Amino acid sequence: MGHPGRHYFGGRKLSRAVLYLVLTALLLYTLMPLVFLVINSFKGQAEIVRNPLALPDEFTWDYIARAFTAIHFPQALGYTLLITVLSEAIIVLCSSLCAWAITRRRGTLPTVVYLCFVAAMLIPFQAVMYPLMSMMDTVGLKNIPGLILMYGGFGMSLSIFLYCGFIKAVPRGVEEAALIDGAGIFQIFFRIVFPLIKSTTVTVIILNGMWIWNDYLLPYLTLGTSEQKTLVLELFYAKMTSGQFGNPWELVFPAVLLSILPMVIVFLCLQKYFVKGVSEGAIKS
Amino acid sequence: MDRYYKRWFWLLVLPAILLFVCIIALPFLIGAVYSFTSWRGTYFAGGSLAQSFVGLDNYRSAFANEQFVHALLYTTLYTVVAVIAINLVALALALMLNNIRRGAGLFRTVFFLPNMLGGLAMGFVWQFIFQVVYTELLFSPDGILHVEFLRYMTQDGTKALFALAIMTTWQSAGYMMLIYIGGLNAIPGDLYEAAQIDGAGPVRRFFKITLPLLMPSITVVLFLTLANSFKLLDQNVALTDGAFGSRLIALQILRTTQDITPPNYGVAQAQAVIFFVIVAIISLLQVWLTRRKEVEF
Repeated sequence: MGHPGRHYFGGRKLSRAVLYLVLTALLLYTLMPLVFLVINSFKGQAEIVRNPLALPDEFTWDYIARAFTAIHFPQALGYTLLITVLSEAIIVLCSSLCAWAITRRRGTLPTVVYLCFVAAMLIPFQAVMYPLMSMMDTVGLKNIPGLILMYGGFGMSLSIFLYCGFIKAVPRGVEEAALIDGAGIFQIFFRIVFPLIKSTTVTVIILNGMWIWNDYLLPYLTLGTSEQKTLVLELFYAKMTSGQFGNPWELVFPAVLLSILPMVIVFLCLQKYFVKGVSEGAIKS
Repeated sequence: MDRYYKRWFWLLVLPAILLFVCIIALPFLIGAVYSFTSWRGTYFAGGSLAQSFVGLDNYRSAFANEQFVHALLYTTLYTVVAVIAINLVALALALMLNNIRRGAGLFRTVFFLPNMLGGLAMGFVWQFIFQVVYTELLFSPDGILHVEFLRYMTQDGTKALFALAIMTTWQSAGYMMLIYIGGLNAIPGDLYEAAQIDGAGPVRRFFKITLPLLMPSITVVLFLTLANSFKLLDQNVALTDGAFGSRLIALQILRTTQDITPPNYGVAQAQAVIFFVIVAIISLLQVWLTRRKEVEF
C-alpha cells in the first residue's frame, strides 16, 4: 500500500530507478579505493605515479612476492592470528562467566561490580597507556603474551556489558533443575548456559576481533621494533622505512593488499554473522 | 539456588576482575597520580615518588603547550565535521536500502566492507589517493572538475581535517548504517499505514514517525561516532602523521614524549587525564541528553 515517491518523482518505477542509480554510484565510490589498491599492487613505482588509474601494462606477481618477504607475511600472519585467537578466548571465557555470576547473584554487590566494568568504558586507551606500559615492562610482559593479556583486559567491559544484557533474559529454571540433578557449577555453565548465549558470543568475538586484528597502537607500544610483529606493525614499519627512499608505493600497495586480504576473506565468508553482530551489539548498548 | 550462586560468585568473577584491575583500573589510578609528578617514564626527576610531586605544574604546562591546545581544538572541529558527515551518510544509506528489496544484501555488504579494513592500511591507500589521484587527476585544472580545495589535502592543516573526515566517512558510514537499518526495522509498519490514511505525506511521515522512533538508534550512533572521532589515531598517523598542524589529541599524547627531550611523561600523562575528563563528560552528556528525548512505544 502507498506510493511514497509519487509526488516527487512522478511514479514509483522512476523513483526506484533513481534509487538504484544513486546506490550503484555510492557502491562504486566505496569500492574505488580497493579496486585502486588491487590494480596498483601489480605495478612498479614509475608506472603507479604515471598512471595510477590504469590497469598494469604487464601482469606480474613480482611486487606482491617482494612485499610478501618484506613484511614477513607468514610469520606476521601467524602472530596476529595467535594474538587474536588467544585474547578472544580469554575475553569470551572470563566475561561470560563473570556476567553470568553478576546477573544471577542478587544484592548490591553484583550491581557495583557491573557498574565498575561499564564505567570503565569511558576510559580512553591514552589515559592508561603510559603507566600500563611501564608496569608491563617491570613484570617482563612487554611481549606477545603481555599483549594477549592486555587485549583480554581491554575487551572485558564491553563484553560483560553485552553478556549481562542477554543473560538477564535467560530463565534460571533450567539451571536449578540441573543443580538438583547433581551437575557442578562449571557443568551447568558450559552445558546449559553457554550454548544458550551463543549468539552473544558471536557478537563479542566479532566486535573484539575487528578491533584486535587491526589495532596499531597497542602492538606499536608493546612490541615496537622487536622481531615479533603483527601484520599492521609490519606494514607500518615497511611504510616508514620505504619512506626514506621517497615513498616506493610499489612496496606499500602490495603490502597493504596482503595485510587486508585475510580480513576480507573472513568477512566475505562470515558476513551474515558480522551484520548480526554489529546490529545486536548496537541495540544492546 | 540463591545461596548456590552466592557461594560461587567470587570464583566466577575473579578472572575478569583480576584482568580488569591489572590492565585498566590500576594503570588508570597510577596514571592519575603520576600526572602530578615529574615522572620521566622509568624514574622520577627529583628522587622518589613522594619527592617528585609538582602539584598542578604538568597541567599548567599542558595548557601552555600550543600544540596541545591546538590539537584539542582541531580534534573538536574534526569531531563536529565527522559526526555530522557520518550520521547523515549512514542515515541516508539506511533509508535508501530500506526502500529496496532486490540487491539490498549486496549493497549492505559492500558499504560495510571498508569498516573491516585496518585504519592504518587503508590510510596509506587514501594518502596516495589524496596526493596523486585527487591532486593530479580528478580535481586538477586539467582534471574532471577543478576544485582547488580538494588538491594537496594532506599538506594543509585545514584541508587535512576534511581529508580525514572523507576517509572516516568512507570507512565507518557502513557500520552506522547497519545500526540505523536495525532501528528502522523496529518501527511498526502499521504506524505508516495509519498516518497515510490520515493524509500525512512522505516528508511529514519521516519527521513525525521515522525520526522520533529512530531516536534510540540515533543515540547509539551519535555516541559511537563521537567517541570514535575523538579517539581517532590510526588514520591520522597514516594520512599526515600529524604534519602541518593536523595532530589529533590521541596522536598529540603519543608524541608528547618525543617532542621534549628528555621525555616528560608527567606532562603527557596530564594531557591524557584531561583527555579522559573530556571524553567522559561528552559521553555522559550525550547519553543523558538523548535518553530524555527517546519515545516509548
